Amino acid sequence: MITAERKPIEEILEYLEPYDRILLVGCNECVTVCAAGGRKEVALLSSALQMARMKSGRTLEVREMTLERQCDPEYVEELVNFIDQAGAVLSMACGCGVQEVARRFKDKPVFPAVNTKFMGASERQGVWAERCQGCGDCLLGLTGGICPIARCSKRLLNGPCGGSTDGKCEISPEVDCAWQLIWERLKALGLEKRYEDIISAKDWRTSRDGGPRKIVREDLAS
Amino acid sequence: MSFQKQLSSGEFVVLAEMDTPKGVDISELITNARRIKGRVDAVVIPDMGDGMMRMSALGGGVLMHQQGIEAIIHVCCRDRNRLALQAELLSAHVLGIQNVVVARGEEMAYGDHFDAKPVNDLDEIGLLQAIRSLQEGVDLAGIELKGSPIFTVGCTIEPYVDDKALDRELELAQKKVEAGAQFIITPPVFDMDLFASFVEKAKPLGVPLIPTVFLLKSVGIARYMATTLPAYHISEELISRIRKASNRELECIRIAGEMVANLKQLAQGVHIVTLGWEYQLPSILDYSGL
Repeated sequence: MITAERKPIEEILEYLEPYDRILLVGCNECVTVCAAGGRKEVALLSSALQMARMKSGRTLEVREMTLERQCDPEYVEELVNFIDQAGAVLSMACGCGVQEVARRFKDKPVFPAVNTKFMGASERQGVWAERCQGCGDCLLGLTGGICPIARCSKRLLNGPCGGSTDGKCEISPEVDCAWQLIWERLKALGLEKRYEDIISAKDWRTSRDGGPRKIVREDLAS
Repeated sequence: MSFQKQLSSGEFVVLAEMDTPKGVDISELITNARRIKGRVDAVVIPDMGDGMMRMSALGGGVLMHQQGIEAIIHVCCRDRNRLALQAELLSAHVLGIQNVVVARGEEMAYGDHFDAKPVNDLDEIGLLQAIRSLQEGVDLAGIELKGSPIFTVGCTIEPYVDDKALDRELELAQKKVEAGAQFIITPPVFDMDLFASFVEKAKPLGVPLIPTVFLLKSVGIARYMATTLPAYHISEELISRIRKASNRELECIRIAGEMVANLKQLAQGVHIVTLGWEYQLPSILDYSGL
């Protein structure tokens, strides 16, 4: 999933300073799962914003909505009947959702209420960790299902480096050494031989480094 | 007189661009540089222009310095992060480089290492601010330097296809000047009237403009550029002049020379680009009357 964390309320209030009536829009997908921008978080932020405004002697009218998917034009269209009454939109979706709303409603200011963080997985209740950087040319088949691009601090394709101690990365004792994990996993699978293979320098064109990416499925595109 | 002094005293400066070799054979670079020593005020060394891997601009700049030729080196953000950029700038100063141009750095995709990962940790404005900070004795981490470098700092303006694109470029140039650019190298000029109106529009920037004179080497190149790069504003008349000439190569050199001479009336210098034909620089200078 795409993970996110809510922005500090002071930053959000600064964005909203010129407006007295806003549309606060959550998303039922990734940001709901990582508890950053679903229906519940929309309600909490709405109350917090209104209270903060009242403290400063002004009011803020907030219409709350949570879309099925904010990155999908079909669902964003549901805002059409409410957009005119709002001075601005505050989106609790990831950056994709914020941009989709901004693309659809060109004359309406749209502000982000969360910081989009990474593509990750849930490690345990309330803990999410980065797992994928979307490099566009998946290496997991070579590395025992553990990604060195997303999980090695140096993105080493042939690790580990000298900073690996007792299975931890030198940047923090909280961070596992991805190459230690890869080694252990290959060993468990009886694929130690694969560790000896040198992975060649990566072609980064498939990653964001080749510029903004797009997928066009001719069989589906209209 | 140094490039910086000429620039600040309003004198016309002549710059010639020279690429470093792809390899370690520097004989051609040195021979070509010696040919124009004393005839140009500085040699401009691109920083792996067009994303082609070559000897570094700093290496080329130092070679010029060893030959007694003042160098202006390009620095771009494509290949280095803020540590490497600052380190290179400190090295450049110590090795005798007094002038740098913050260049855009063409997309990696257009170069010969198209699978490489571009860095772009800073952008052009960020790099100009970094240079200013180093000159003030502090690095980007806020740590005081033991001795600070001094540079004359330039920037570039990209070719513009119409007035709207030009306005955008000028707005960006304004930011670059505010961030520390002291002169601007502008795109190749093929149309003097157009350049004259550019000069008017760019006046508020308040820094010297150094237009590029680009050597068209053949009808084919002129035609190709006119078709694929409309922002260069190459006219049919110009293409036809080359086509009709009995010696087309010489005509191209003559055109470049005339352009240099004409620009003397409008700008504070010229930046001659010959892309591989650096051996023709003396002839261009001959035809320019300089």
